[in-house]
Amino acid sequence: MIYTYAFVAIAACVAIERFHNRRAKATIVLLLAAFLAIAPRFYGNDAVFSVLADAAVYVMLALGLNIVVGFAGLLDLGYAAFFAIGAYTYGMLASPQFGLHLPFWALLFIAAALAALFGALLGAPTLRLHGDYLAIVTLGFGEIVPQIFQNLTKYTGGPNGIAALDVPTFFGHSFGASVMPYYYIALFGIAFALWISRNLRESRLGRAWMAIREDELAAKHAGIDVLRSKLAAFAIGASFSGIGGVLFAAKLALVSPDLFGFQVSVLIVSMLVLGGMGNIVGVVVGSLLLTIVNSALLPQINSLVDTAFHTTLDLSNLHFLIYGAILVGIMLFRPEGLLPSRERRAELHHAGEAAVDA
Amino acid sequence: MSLLGLAGVTKRFGALTALSNVNLNVEEGAIFGIIGPNGAGKSTLFNLLTAIYRFDEGSISIGGVSIAGLTTQRIARLGVARTFQNLRLFGNASALANVMVGEHLLLQANIVDALLNSARERRERLEAERRARELLRFVGVVGVEEHFARNLSYGTQRRLEIARALAARPRLLLLDEPAAGLNPSEKLELVSLIRAIRDTGATVVLIEHDMGLVMNLCERIAVLDYGEKIAEGSPREVREHPRVIEAYLGAPA
Amino acid sequence: MHEFLAQLANGVELGAIYALIALGYTLVYGILELINFAHGDVYTFGSFVALGVLVGLRAAGVLHGAGLILGIAAALIAAIIASALLNAAIERLAYRPLRKAPRLAPLITAIGVSFMLENLIELWQGSAPVPFPNVIPNPQLQIGALEVGVQQIVVVALAIVTMVALHFFVQRSRLGKAMRAVAQDRDAASLVGIDVNRTIAITFLIAGALAGVAGFVGGVSFGSAWFLNGFGAGLRAFTAAVLGGIGNIAGAMLGGFLIGLLESFSTWLIGGQWSNVAVFSVLILVLVFRPSGLLGESLPEKV
Repeated sequence: MIYTYAFVAIAACVAIERFHNRRAKATIVLLLAAFLAIAPRFYGNDAVFSVLADAAVYVMLALGLNIVVGFAGLLDLGYAAFFAIGAYTYGMLASPQFGLHLPFWALLFIAAALAALFGALLGAPTLRLHGDYLAIVTLGFGEIVPQIFQNLTKYTGGPNGIAALDVPTFFGHSFGASVMPYYYIALFGIAFALWISRNLRESRLGRAWMAIREDELAAKHAGIDVLRSKLAAFAIGASFSGIGGVLFAAKLALVSPDLFGFQVSVLIVSMLVLGGMGNIVGVVVGSLLLTIVNSALLPQINSLVDTAFHTTLDLSNLHFLIYGAILVGIMLFRPEGLLPSRERRAELHHAGEAAVDA
Repeated sequence: MSLLGLAGVTKRFGALTALSNVNLNVEEGAIFGIIGPNGAGKSTLFNLLTAIYRFDEGSISIGGVSIAGLTTQRIARLGVARTFQNLRLFGNASALANVMVGEHLLLQANIVDALLNSARERRERLEAERRARELLRFVGVVGVEEHFARNLSYGTQRRLEIARALAARPRLLLLDEPAAGLNPSEKLELVSLIRAIRDTGATVVLIEHDMGLVMNLCERIAVLDYGEKIAEGSPREVREHPRVIEAYLGAPA
Repeated sequence: MHEFLAQLANGVELGAIYALIALGYTLVYGILELINFAHGDVYTFGSFVALGVLVGLRAAGVLHGAGLILGIAAALIAAIIASALLNAAIERLAYRPLRKAPRLAPLITAIGVSFMLENLIELWQGSAPVPFPNVIPNPQLQIGALEVGVQQIVVVALAIVTMVALHFFVQRSRLGKAMRAVAQDRDAASLVGIDVNRTIAITFLIAGALAGVAGFVGGVSFGSAWFLNGFGAGLRAFTAAVLGGIGNIAGAMLGGFLIGLLESFSTWLIGGQWSNVAVFSVLILVLVFRPSGLLGESLPEKV
């Protein structure tokens, strides 16, 4: 069942990339949205929608990181830190921890703002650094943040984290134990993230990011304020992650420091790399594929193998091997990702003519 | 009145003095050439003008404003645009997008406009694209507007880079060896392009190795050798200057 | 005072291990400008190889008398060879094809290699730490107020001997000179007849060999090997390399000892749970305020 949803979504994404006609694209988007909104009434169960809701959160995270890595060309290896900040914002402000029970909806905004603030705070001194150095600094930040959450036991519940988080309500109606509200919110979140991503890519700021990514010195000569543009990318990317964190924490009703380690950051980077960095639709496909593999395919293969051979293998151990293989394989053999943007494919197509032209 | 003024400019790299006490004035509306043998300090001079390097002594003013301590991006705001000796295009972006980046300072849309795709953002994007297409036509890059810059032919890339620089509507345009690698017919086109650029009101300073092109195009020429200005004047004056002949033909017997 | 000296000895011992790993980062960065993210896992691999050899020899019952010394030497040499070959294989398969790719591509690949190695080592050795055979006698020596184990002395001595040997190799030998030439300007080096690919491969071999020494020494020192050891140790060692000035061999050693001391003293003074925060804060602060490190020279940007 889950594969049906994933297949439809991915097929629609591929179709969107293939079609050049704007109206055809819009039609596919509307059809897909209608399908994802209505189909759950007839088809599927809580387990499926739980996975899909998680997948949707990851899609949001990947779209956010895509702004930083894909658009602005800044490799952020500590992106999970902002995810943690979002999740802990919900954990601390909507739980018995401090007796604060701020509404879920308000916390979405607060977490986005806080994550953006921390993104800017981290970025302000470090965004002068080039390439790999920035990657390592963000990695260090990503290691520090969960560690701090773990150590400040008095406020954060320490290694055990905070449990029994508030169940969100919608105009007085509690979400209860159902996963459907999270599924719909996450879908809405993706739609919003897609809209913002597209706006940014086509904007003056988006062109400035492209320039910085391609040639920082030339960008400066065009009068672009490189540092401010990078800060904007960091802050906006972080805010996506913050929102994702709130959704994630509310759905799980739990936060704990071990949920936000380096593996999570690398997972999101793998999603980008798999789908094609910088390409919005590719990123969606990459993150859907990886989440489905992680939360549906691997467990199923696992139980199949175990029943067939009477073993008790734990294939969940293979996650990291898969991320690693994706990173290496794609970089070596298909650096543009599985679904490169239409422009780029058109380019590969035109490359022959251009060579003749030269 | 002079748009670009250098007084006593010196630049050292460790023990090496790349430029030594250079004085230079470029009048508004001029086409000004800077020539000299390899290693004479020409590119260093351009790199001082756009703050890639900082000069050690002297002063540089552009449009009456001292550029000491200004960043590259602040200098761009003074109306300075340039091209590079070894092309620095945005390779994985279309020719059109390259030029639109050049228009950055003409636009106002901010981060909120970007996020919401506001009316201002949309209006500016349309204008920017229209102007960019116009500029590409002006420099003669036609039919490949949507191609990635890195896939264009060398001569086209050179013209695209000029278009990107022009997109900022610079008062002062710095061209670093614009004719390098061009064939004779492309060079002819370049000469008329640079004249056309000057006719739009910009002041052009160029570094060039092709003597014929410089003599034909520039109204005034400065000659650098080992970091010193050894001559300045009209093409004719420069051609007949004994120190220039010496620099180019080696020490006199 | 007693505790202070004990922490000092601890820090120096840790520092020796970090310094050995840091040298691998610095050698590779010096020549390729690549953070070999998988280097920490090469160290882990060395640890497990040494462990395997020792376990095997102990089971064979040869680890006593002269056999013990030969056995220890065999474990060390096996770790060195295995790590060196692994590191060179990684270079050949994963990094060399990307030599001309955009700069982030090799780094992303390196992270991928690291994840794969960690997972493969986990599949091979399990996810719990494996105790390192306790075959090396460790009598305690009293030097004034300082009490140290013989093991500690051996660990530090071995590390220092290795580093000194490396220093002379790089400064004096033909290969070392070739390495420095390639590090400075690859094209120029190739013009004067240096085989760049071979030099880079040898650099990875040497870096891997150092990680192998560190793997053995670390196993002895920590008393166990664990598939994720390389991640934490690798990041600390990288911090050490950056602190000393990346690309700078003396800097990596200095940085290694400083980070070792920082870890042992922060653990003592503010608690082990803060030592990560302390180390990574140093990493961030150094990169922000002095990216060239303590001993490095700042490099002007190429235009």
